[in-house]
Order: sequence, then structure tokens, then C-alpha cells
Amino acid sequence: MIQLKDLTFSYLKSDGSKVSETPQINNVNLAINSGEFVLVCGPTGSGKSTFLKTLNGLAPSFTGGVITGELRINGVNLLGLEPHEFASVVGYVNQQPENAFVGDTVIDEIVYCAEQLGLPIEEIELSVKKISDLLEISDLLERPLATLSGGQQQRVAIASALVAGQKILLLDEPTSALDLVGAAEVLRVLRRLCSEEGVTVLLAEHRISRVIAEVDSVLVVHGDGSVTKGPTATQFNDPRFVPPIIELGLKLGWKPLPITTSDAARKWNETRPGFQAKVISQPAQEVLSVRDLEVSFGSVQALHETSFRLAGNQITALMGENGSGKTSLCWAIQGSGTRTKGTVTTYKGDTRDLNTAERLEVLTMVPQRAADLLFLSTLSAELEESDRYAEVPPGSTAKLFQSLAGRIDTSIHPRDLSAGQQLSLVLAIQLVKQAKIVILDEPTRGLDYSAKHALAKQLNSIRSQDRAVLIATHDIEFVAMVADRVLVLEQGKLISDSSPLEVLGAGKPFASQLAEISQEVGLISIEQVKL
Amino acid sequence: MSATTRAAHFVSAYKTNPISWWLAGLSLAIVASLTSNILVLLFICVGTLSIIKLCRDDSPWAQSIGFYIKLAAIVITLRVAFRIIFNLGSSTKDAFLLLPSIDIDFGFGNALKLFGPISATAFNFALVDGFRLAAIILAVGMANSLANPRKLLKSTPGALYEIATAISIAINLAPQLIASLSRVRRARSLRGQSKGMKAITGIVIPVLEDTIDQSMGLAASMSARGFGRKGSRSKFQIIGARLLAFIAICLIVTGSALLLFSPDQQVLELTFLFIGLVLAVISIRLSSTRGTITRYRKEPWRLGDAIILTASVALMVLAFGGAFAR
Repeated sequence: MIQLKDLTFSYLKSDGSKVSETPQINNVNLAINSGEFVLVCGPTGSGKSTFLKTLNGLAPSFTGGVITGELRINGVNLLGLEPHEFASVVGYVNQQPENAFVGDTVIDEIVYCAEQLGLPIEEIELSVKKISDLLEISDLLERPLATLSGGQQQRVAIASALVAGQKILLLDEPTSALDLVGAAEVLRVLRRLCSEEGVTVLLAEHRISRVIAEVDSVLVVHGDGSVTKGPTATQFNDPRFVPPIIELGLKLGWKPLPITTSDAARKWNETRPGFQAKVISQPAQEVLSVRDLEVSFGSVQALHETSFRLAGNQITALMGENGSGKTSLCWAIQGSGTRTKGTVTTYKGDTRDLNTAERLEVLTMVPQRAADLLFLSTLSAELEESDRYAEVPPGSTAKLFQSLAGRIDTSIHPRDLSAGQQLSLVLAIQLVKQAKIVILDEPTRGLDYSAKHALAKQLNSIRSQDRAVLIATHDIEFVAMVADRVLVLEQGKLISDSSPLEVLGAGKPFASQLAEISQEVGLISIEQVKL
Repeated sequence: MSATTRAAHFVSAYKTNPISWWLAGLSLAIVASLTSNILVLLFICVGTLSIIKLCRDDSPWAQSIGFYIKLAAIVITLRVAFRIIFNLGSSTKDAFLLLPSIDIDFGFGNALKLFGPISATAFNFALVDGFRLAAIILAVGMANSLANPRKLLKSTPGALYEIATAISIAINLAPQLIASLSRVRRARSLRGQSKGMKAITGIVIPVLEDTIDQSMGLAASMSARGFGRKGSRSKFQIIGARLLAFIAICLIVTGSALLLFSPDQQVLELTFLFIGLVLAVISIRLSSTRGTITRYRKEPWRLGDAIILTASVALMVLAFGGAFAR
């Protein structure tokens, strides 16, 4: 189906005349069969997005750069063509479908590609019917796109990419913004497209733990230019992005490495490894008190009367589906977000009554769209500005950033960093501040496993300084690793406030993968497992 | 938004053809320009405002009506104020506003007379004129805030598709810019700034980058789905169509200019206009029959459209009838 021969892609250097010395993708030779479900993974910023984009001409057309070699699709070399020439054979879905929508209603959006390709009306009708059945969106066709949930929007985007009978589908982190339910919906239809329709799917993902059981093979973009592809179990030898299930297998020396939860569960039952009790920090001094907090936007009540306190030596996770009110709660606590009722008390007073500078002294926050915080033209300028503002020794931010994202040339423009690297940068900038309260909204999107471990380490050291951390996230494995306490929101209501052992334990809606594998009470995180 | 209001929006602005709103808006504007009856003008102003109130949804273009209302109010005020200030040649016979006049002598020619007594006729005329302009502005504003630009895109002929796409993206850009401005400002307050950093760069750069990123993202998504394909058209067809369009526009512009400035050579002017129009139609046909783009669902004409159109036609007939009878 797809054959790459000596495929090389390099970004141009900033002076615009020379090709940079280390190409992003270097001399790649590999083949992908029709109907194959391929997981594309690699460390943060290794070039997964770029690799996908080379397969339908978006790179270099929309990214700049130079591409050489051969890109054969169905035997024809399409290298160097514009993206619209790929449209009839390759479908592409990006991370945020709402930014890519051209229509108003679901049906407008789905037919767009078929219209552009000039398919006859009768053919479009048939294929809309088929694709909407396949993606389980038949009863949504007349709905405005804005009224759909994230998972539904993503399925519409997939339908729209396949409406003209494309047999290759490229997806760039389609589930990174989705909650568990939405992500599972998307994954299910992808599996179905491969096995029933023979569609070749290339899925770039960071949250690979729940995906690897579904895929046929794994393609790794290593970040040094090399790209390798092979069966799932053979591909995870880079410690930077070993998913939990493989990490468990490696840690316990299991052979062959388990890939699915059921394989691992069988192995666990055979060997019965020992584990330590989870260390949970008990609440001490209170740092933040939220009382009767309520948030409404017009007639929509995003958050119903909510009260809780945060202690200075605890990491608290805030979980719940998309639209359950997590982000509204974070902004309301921060003080500049909408607040209909209630108080948020800190040692300096209510956050709403503080001015910007005072708020920054009390509280530091990383919002969902982290890149909004970056405004300087080089990475080094951003790092220096951060040190200056936080009044920390020069190099502190850089050190933290490096632990999260690895070594990166500091002369590059922050906008040229990958999404995960930008997030790492903003995390570094916000976490070197000495504020008593730390709020992180989805801080692990696009981070590889080594970055997550580094972040966990940083949060632990913040906890040890008697500062409170609140993390809004969908990332169960991360919560299992760091949290001392879990709050769960459902449709704007705080429905539970308990220990992670309860919320993430076996058989619970947010069960961690290890809890599911081991079925042991009190075991949720791999750190607990003894050698 | 509750389910009922959502449903109401769905049947109103959502389910009408954007072209019918534009036709209604334009016919109201024509009626307004033909009449000098203040009651009719008031009726149009109130009518358009209540139609907008009833039919608008919460889309970004629907928010533009505030701008039109302000503009209309400013126009009425200015028109009346100018009449009072620059009070030239008003007869004092039926004066109803006796203001003292101010003469400003420039040392040459006649002195500039400001204020002075204003006759009821003159005041009435200014008021009607102001309301006429306001009614036209509101009528166009109604069309603009009720017609979904994306749907208008669907009803444009293929030859104008690229231009129409550019316009519809541009229309979406402004609300997007405003949204990202407020988001970035909020985000910036989370970061803080050390002394010596310019506040403006902290806002402007992320907003511009964000807007450009989003537009590029949309463009990439459109391109990846086949937008911009030249399809089966030959180079000759493309160049031919463009050349014809150029000649057509030249002829139409010259023809109308001549018609306006020297209305005595009607044969020549009409020939220019006629040939220009024919060439324009051929050019659009030539580029539209390329068969590269399908329209899956042309905007159908529904009951709502029929009502809007009948009402606009009836209004036009009445207005023209009235104008000729006088």
C-alpha cells in the first residue's frame, strides 16, 4: 500500500538558504500493508507529526522544508505533489478537529472532500450513508458541529477524511484531548475500519498504553532521523516512551513481553510479584479553601456549588469527562475566570480580589493552551525571562525544561517546538515560580513517559515544600503515579473526594491499567511493584 | 442554551437560504431609498430590528448587528445636526426653531452663516433623509447578520468559488481574532512579566501567531481534502476564462460610467453593457462547467424563503407603484 524508499525530509535553517544538517527524517525505507493498523510513536518532539505530514504532502507544502526519496502509494510515486493531489487516496485528521472544520453541520463537513473531488451526487449519497453507519454518526447528520462532544467531533472528522473512498487514514493524536469514553469510541471505530474496510490506519499517539493492544504494528520515530517499524513487542526499547504495560514487563523480566492487559494479567497470576503500599501524603496545613463555588455561563451551569480544601503537602487530581467543569473550576480558583458565587480563600485573601501581581505570588497555573504563555522569539530568551521574573538563579528554568524535554538547541523559536515541547517549556516556566498553589490543566498532553516521570519528580519536590498542587487531567496512569487525593467531577458536580486507591482501583470507572492487570487491592502504580 | 431556544434558532436562521435574506435586505433598502414617507421609513427600521431580534442565532456574524445599529443612530444624528449647523438658505416663513445665527467672516466672499432660524420643512427633510440612510443601513445589516456566509458560499457559482472561500475565511477571522485576544490576555496574566518587558509584545505576538496558526490549520485541512484542485481544466481554459472576465469587467465599468456621466449616447453605452454582461456570463460558465466540484446539497428553497421573498416582492411593488403614482 505505502512504500517509502530513502525518504528524507529536512527543515530549512532559519536563514532560509541552507538545509539543516540533521534531517528530521533520514533515509527511511519501510512498507505498510493495506488494512494494517500502525501506531506511530516516539519521544516528545521526535517528529511524529512531521512524518505523518510527509505522507500526504502537507510537509513540505505547509511546513516548508525539503523532501527527497520515493513515496509510493499503490505503486505510484507521489513525492512532491501538493496535498490536494493526495486527497483522493489519503485522509488526514489532526489533533483539534474543531479548528479544521469548514462546515456548519455534520453533513456539510462530511461531504466537503467528496464535493471538492467532484464525485457524482449519487456516489456521495451512498458513501455518506456507508461511512456514517460505520462511524456511528448516522443520527447526527443534521446536527450543528458545535453541539457535538469531542469524541463525536473526532468521528465526524474521520468520516470526512474517508468519504471519497480513501483507503489510507493518517491521524495526528486524535484522542489526546478526549476523555476515556471519547477516546475509546474513536479507537473502536478505527479498529473496525481496518478489519472490516481494509483501511490502512497510521495513528500517532502519546497515550499508547490503551492503544497498543489494538494495533498490528508499531512505527517509531526516534527523533534522530531514523524511523523503524516492526511488531509491537519488539519496538519498545527506548526508555523515553515505554508504556506502563511494557515497563511492567521489563521491570519484572517477563518474556515474551505482554502487550494486552489479558496477557499481562495471566503472567501476573503465574508469578504473583510482591508490591509495597502506596505512599500517600496526609493533609497538614491548609493552603486553599474553596467554599460554595458556583460557575454559570448564561443559562449553562458549568459548576454547581462546590466546596473543598487543599492542603500544602498534597497533590490532588481533578478528574471527570470532557465538559464536566474541570477547566471552569481551575479558572474560577485562579480568580480571573467566571465565578457566579462562592469564595476561594488563600493566605492573601480571596483570589478574585487580588490584582494580577498578587495572584502570581499566591498561585501559578498552566492552562490547557499552554502556548499562549509564550511570547519571545527564542527559547533562550524565554528561559532567561522566566529566571528573571521568578527571581531564581540563572539557568533554573533551563534545567527544569531539560529534565522534561531533553536537550534542545536554545536558539530556535518557541513556535517551532512540538506541542509537547511547548507544554514542557510552559511547565518549566510556571513551576520555577515559588507560589504556594500550583494548578495544572491537562499537563501531560503530548508528553512522553520520561517527561511524565520528570514532571512527577518535580511535583513531588513541590509537595515537599508544603505547596499545594491541583491537576485536572484524563491521564489515569499519571494520577496513579503522583496523586494523594482524587476529586471527581460529573456534569459540574463534585461526586467524589477520596484516596486514589479507591478511585483508580480494580473494577472502578477510572481503574489504572496495573489495577486491572493485577486485581490487587491497594496496587495502582508501577512504582509500587517490588523487584 | 436550552433545547427549546436551540430548536427555535434551528428553524429560523438555520433553515433559510442566505440568498433570500440578502434579497429581502436589498429590496427593503431599495424601498427605503424610493420613499420619503417617514412612517414607511420608521416601519422599515423597526421591522428590520424586530426581524433580527426574532431570527438571529448566536453565530459570530449575528453579533455584527450592534455595529449597524450604532452606525444608523450616528447617521441620523449627524444628518440633523448638520442641517441645523450649516443652515443654508432656509426660509424663515414656517420657522419652528429660532436659533441665533452666527456669521463667520473669512475676509473674502460671503460670510459663512451658521445656525439661524430653521423652517419645519427643512428640519423635516433632514430628519427623513437621516432615517432613509438609517433604514438602508439596517436593511443591509439585517442581511449581513442573518445570512450565514458559509451557506452563501454554497450558493455561489463555481467560478467565484475561490474568491468566495477567501471572503468567508476572512469573515471568520475577525471573531476568531477577538476570541484569541481575550484568551491570550488571560493566559498572559498567568505568566507575569519582568521589568523592562514590553507589555504589548506579550499580547500581540501570541494573538497574531495563534490566528495565523489557526488559519494555516484550516487551510491545511481544506487542502488535504482536495480544495484547490485544478481538476480537468486545461491551462487554455483557465487563462481564457480569466481574460474574458477581465474584458467583461472593463466593458461593464466603462458602460456604466458613460451612462452616468453623459446620458445622451445611450446606444453605445447599452451595447457596451450588453457585451460586457454576455462575456461575464460566458466566463463564469467556462470556469464553472469544469466538473471538478460537486454541490452535494444546494441550498433548497423552503417555506420560510417563500414567505420572505413574497413579502419583499410585495413591498417593492407597493413602493414602485407609490413612486410612479406620484
